Amino acid sequence: MTEKISDNLFVTLEKKRLDRKEKWLSRLMLFMEDIIKVPLFRCQRCGECILSHTGFICSQRCPKRMRNGPCGGTSPDGYCEVYPDLRCIWYKIYQRSRMFGRLSLLYHLEKIHNWELEQTSAWLNVFTRRIDPPIWFIRKEKKR
Amino acid sequence: MSLRDKIEKGKFIITAELGPPQSANPDVIRKKANHFRKGVDAVNITDNQTAIVRMSSIASAKICLDQGLEPVVQMTCRDRNRLAIQSDLLGAAALGIENILCLTGDHMCFGNHPEARGVFDMDSIQLIATVRNLTEGFFLSGEPMKTPPRLFIGAAANPCGEPLEMRIIRLEKKIKSGAQFIQTQPVFDLEGFDHWLRAVRKRGLDKKTAILAGVMPVKSVKALEYMKMEVPGMKIADQMFQRMKKAKDPKEEGVQMAADIIRELRYREGIAGIHLMPLLWESITLHVLEKADLL
Repeated sequence: MTEKISDNLFVTLEKKRLDRKEKWLSRLMLFMEDIIKVPLFRCQRCGECILSHTGFICSQRCPKRMRNGPCGGTSPDGYCEVYPDLRCIWYKIYQRSRMFGRLSLLYHLEKIHNWELEQTSAWLNVFTRRIDPPIWFIRKEKKR
Repeated sequence: MSLRDKIEKGKFIITAELGPPQSANPDVIRKKANHFRKGVDAVNITDNQTAIVRMSSIASAKICLDQGLEPVVQMTCRDRNRLAIQSDLLGAAALGIENILCLTGDHMCFGNHPEARGVFDMDSIQLIATVRNLTEGFFLSGEPMKTPPRLFIGAAANPCGEPLEMRIIRLEKKIKSGAQFIQTQPVFDLEGFDHWLRAVRKRGLDKKTAILAGVMPVKSVKALEYMKMEVPGMKIADQMFQRMKKAKDPKEEGVQMAADIIRELRYREGIAGIHLMPLLWESITLHVLEKADLL
């Protein structure tokens, strides 16, 4: 019944909240995840990692936390509307995706963020099937 | 005939924009609504535009509806989380409002409450999908409802942002998640707009949705400069500035400029209508439409 409708938006209800054991595990894994992700990607710990879709630049650094592409306020030359001296994060994501030939991933409709997963380990969430696994390899597209 | 029927029939659409007052006075809306009586198919009611507190868009839309004008309610993600959005949409549908324009919303830092907490629970694309979900009879949680609302979903597009391809990707995502009509930011740079429109046509997006090009009449050079400096995501051709500076009567020149742009855009392939945005200058609507031979 529910798969029919834009099913990639649904927060599947079962098995979303972390139980006590998982919470401890999550804390432990988050510690390790932070060591890697914070210096490399300035990870914002959203717990629902889409780094692999966004050219390995964390989209959650955006002031509006856009997950689906830049907002309409980006200046014509690609600067942020809130911090006019900073590049729009989605401008960087676009450039990086183009460089890596991963533009097709930007067409992916991202799910509405599940805020229950905020400040949990995305790695654990992948293993426990709470979120989709990262997409490492894609079919080669022409470099532009 | 509702906006949905008109778009489905392929009529040339003219929508306008009405900003609710920063007070509780309903007469302001009634007065402004009078300017849109003739020639306009539907009126957008802004939702706390540029993050400045105004009368609620749904309440204002109801006042418009009572005046016999068809409203398009703008809904932003800045001020509401998914609970409020869904309940507001159900309420709007119950009041007889059919058209919803889904926006992410300007950031709080532009308005008069910059210290406010931004919600941004979802972005405009996810909002479009949420609305579609509701019309299909489901809440975001996946639970079904008894009487689904009947809504016509719109979205915004920015034709002059860099990189262009990202803009097109985003437009395509909006259409994929259910946008039935698109209103663009005001066009001040025809060359750039054509560039965008060509890319849109290339992907066949104009066939899947109705694109209404934004047009804004401006009063003075100062207003143009303000648009360029203060309004996010706006690109204005130098030609416009020169024309405005030379003009003896800047107001009349502004109207003429808007009419010229409308005439240019009208016969472009892939344009289904015009979205007129006379910001704080609602009384000029009729005059612009007359000049552009749209009445």
